[in-house]
Amino acid sequence: MAMTEEARAGTGQHGRITARERQRNPWLGQSVITGFAGAAIGYLLGHLFGNIIASNYAVVKASGVNNVSICLGLALGTLGWLAGLGAFNYAVAKILGYEPAKEEETTGWQRYFKMTLDHKVVGLQYLIAVLGFFFTAGLFAEAFRTELLSPYSHFIGPDVYLQLVSEHGTMMMMMATSLVVGPFGNYLVPLMIGARGMAFPRLEATSLWLFVAGYMVILTAPVYGGFNTGWTAYAPLQTEARGGMDSYLIGFGVVGLGMILNGFNQIVTITNLRAPGMRWTRLPIFVWAMLTTGFLLTLATPVLFVGAYLGVLDRTAQTSFYVNAHGGSSYLWENLFWFFGHPEVYIMALPGFGLVGEMLTVFSRKPLFAYKVAAAGMIGVALLSFFVWQHHLFQSGINPDMRPLFMLDTELISIPTGFIYLVGMGTLWRGRIRFTLPMMFSLAMYFNFLIGGITGVYLSDVPVNVTVHGSFFVLAHFHYTIMGGLVFAFFGAVYYYMPRVTGHMLNETLGKIHFWMMFVFFNLTFFPLLIVGFLGMPRRVFEYAPRLQGLNAFATVADYLLGLSFVVFVANFIWSMWIDPKPAPHNPWQSRGIEWQLPDPVPFHNFDRLPLILSDPYHYGEEDPLPVADFRGGGALAALAEAGVAPFDAYAGRPEIAHPASHISDPGREV
Amino acid sequence: MAVDPQMMDPEALEAEAEAEYDLLGVEGSFWTATRLLIGIVTFVWAGVAFAYFYLRESDTHALWRPHGVTPPTLLGTLIALCVVAGAAVAVYGKYTLLDGRQVDWGFAAWLTTALGLVAAGLQIWELTRLSFLPGLSGYTSVFIGYAPLNVAFILGGTYWMETTVARAMRLRGRLATTGGAGASPLPDARLLRANVDGVTYFWVYMALIVATFWALFYVL
Repeated sequence: MAMTEEARAGTGQHGRITARERQRNPWLGQSVITGFAGAAIGYLLGHLFGNIIASNYAVVKASGVNNVSICLGLALGTLGWLAGLGAFNYAVAKILGYEPAKEEETTGWQRYFKMTLDHKVVGLQYLIAVLGFFFTAGLFAEAFRTELLSPYSHFIGPDVYLQLVSEHGTMMMMMATSLVVGPFGNYLVPLMIGARGMAFPRLEATSLWLFVAGYMVILTAPVYGGFNTGWTAYAPLQTEARGGMDSYLIGFGVVGLGMILNGFNQIVTITNLRAPGMRWTRLPIFVWAMLTTGFLLTLATPVLFVGAYLGVLDRTAQTSFYVNAHGGSSYLWENLFWFFGHPEVYIMALPGFGLVGEMLTVFSRKPLFAYKVAAAGMIGVALLSFFVWQHHLFQSGINPDMRPLFMLDTELISIPTGFIYLVGMGTLWRGRIRFTLPMMFSLAMYFNFLIGGITGVYLSDVPVNVTVHGSFFVLAHFHYTIMGGLVFAFFGAVYYYMPRVTGHMLNETLGKIHFWMMFVFFNLTFFPLLIVGFLGMPRRVFEYAPRLQGLNAFATVADYLLGLSFVVFVANFIWSMWIDPKPAPHNPWQSRGIEWQLPDPVPFHNFDRLPLILSDPYHYGEEDPLPVADFRGGGALAALAEAGVAPFDAYAGRPEIAHPASHISDPGREV
Repeated sequence: MAVDPQMMDPEALEAEAEAEYDLLGVEGSFWTATRLLIGIVTFVWAGVAFAYFYLRESDTHALWRPHGVTPPTLLGTLIALCVVAGAAVAVYGKYTLLDGRQVDWGFAAWLTTALGLVAAGLQIWELTRLSFLPGLSGYTSVFIGYAPLNVAFILGGTYWMETTVARAMRLRGRLATTGGAGASPLPDARLLRANVDGVTYFWVYMALIVATFWALFYVL
């Protein structure tokens, strides 16, 4: 069979297999099955090479652990996974000068197990992946909270306890960085800006499958003895840890690469693929959140990647970056880690604020209060977040004279954060509030974040920080911001956007049970832990003062019930999507967002004609507001004519031809 | 554009305008992506440079750099020269392409590709010629950390250049009648030029990086 140029290029979806053949058997071609096969082959090869290279090393003979083979196995396993899925097909074809085939529309549930270039499919794949991450790490939390039921009798013992705590923290942090950007960023951003897809769809798909690979890599840690360092993996514990630390370092590197690609794609897409008329001042606030988060992902994560890479070298090539005795410094890791680690807090916070910003306006039927302040606040938070990492080192490795500076700029960041918070409050003020499920989650997010934010301001002060450093107070603080903030916003958005994504509403009764259980038991779990921490209980210990048993047992029982709330959610999801699916009405929340104006289901390329954006989507409660967009098109010609792009410049000032673009005086995106 | 838009019906005109608008978006995406990629890579190198200066200033146990420890200077200098020469040739090639001399550009691009491969090969070879163990000191650790990253980014730039010139060769016939890759208004040619601009920019950036680290490791 003669191959066309496009067929040769291949994308993992195309290659030699024709559309008709694929229609007959959707499992033909590359999918997670070939991905797993590739991962197994890569892992075995890496392990073999590692044994050939390093089995005679003195350190390997002495310890019985070959870190080289573990690291090579995990790294080549990841490459094999991507190769099996088809991530490299196009890259290889490019060497011969071929360009990719155009993505065909695929149907059937099998597409969710393949590498696809449809941003809507990728968004849904990401949703399942982040939920898998979240629930796995959550189960670890249930186990170690059980250990903390009693300071006397032990359920799992100190070693397993520390391994579980470390796995839980690491997985949650990995997951939370992509919790919103992955599913909602990829699904919604092109729809919200009037684009037909992401700028680099292959990178988008690769970022997803790297995320999944990171999940598998970090879960290999217990096989290699786990790691007892907590999610921060401070040196020298890192250098001395068992083989599970290799899974941590490689896993963070793999997830980090995916985060970089995802952020990169968001920025390029938002900057360049906005529809005609989509000025910066008309961007939905969620898109502003994705843009600022994108910059944090692309600029902070490379430093984590370098930190993990140097750690791998210390453990395999016997360098001494973090080994004080050989000219290295354990503080080097702390600095590299927190240079990423603190912006990461805002990588997790900003998307949550973006989501609730969208929901608050819809359910209070009011324009977003002080829209420009919200966008400016997000930019301010993103900028300042690069200058505060040293507050994590107040107790270690910092020149004491530097403390006031970092205390001050940490406090400064609460100002733009406060702007964003007050924008939410201003939007609610005198609104016609509808207490729907997404709105309830949004309001709960503001309640929780207030506690998380205020305790954060206290923690930025050196005297308080010194007092409660490394205690459960810190732990409860960041759970209030991340789980209380981001995770609540995420679940609110799941209830809000499921009708758009799947065409089905989630069951409201089960949803309300989920909400109330999650809200009440989240607070009953973590508020006592604030007190426990203030009373002096340190983190990452499996035994504690007997006088704290009451509060700990209370928190543990509440945590079980918190876990149960997610069982309700999963049951609701399965019930509403597969067992008793109820078709959702079109635009059930009466939103003005462009993403809700599209037909059900959203067409493969989103828009038949590029929409002409006429206003921002927040003109709720106004009499006869301007439509958000004109979907008949006409904007491209007007934008090109206004921008003087030949030969379309001949139409400048001729609205009768460039119908209906005479509305716009500003082409929006510069062309 | 092949057809005079003044002669089109409004539907076809709008479709043509949308195609142009989309194409401008893709060209813009290349521009943004290149600059952003450089930003990302800069933060990777900044991490390495931070390690260099942090360990140098800390000088833990006076083990930053024992006397006489240095990687092979000749090899290191050759690597840097290859990358700088590759960048210079890439810049020259870009301007010849815009001048309409596609053959000259093709030669320059292949030469840059070859120089990239040589530089990466020399960097790998240098790692086998070291007279010190990786964990001897802070300096030796940073050098061992730097070298594989240097190989990776040089190979990345080389791959980008090779795929661009391979694409140009495949398009040569198609673009010949419309002014060639340097002047053709066809979308393929415009995207190729955007790619050439991006890869040239990246090579110049890499030359600056390699020169900077050459100074850190071999001069300071």
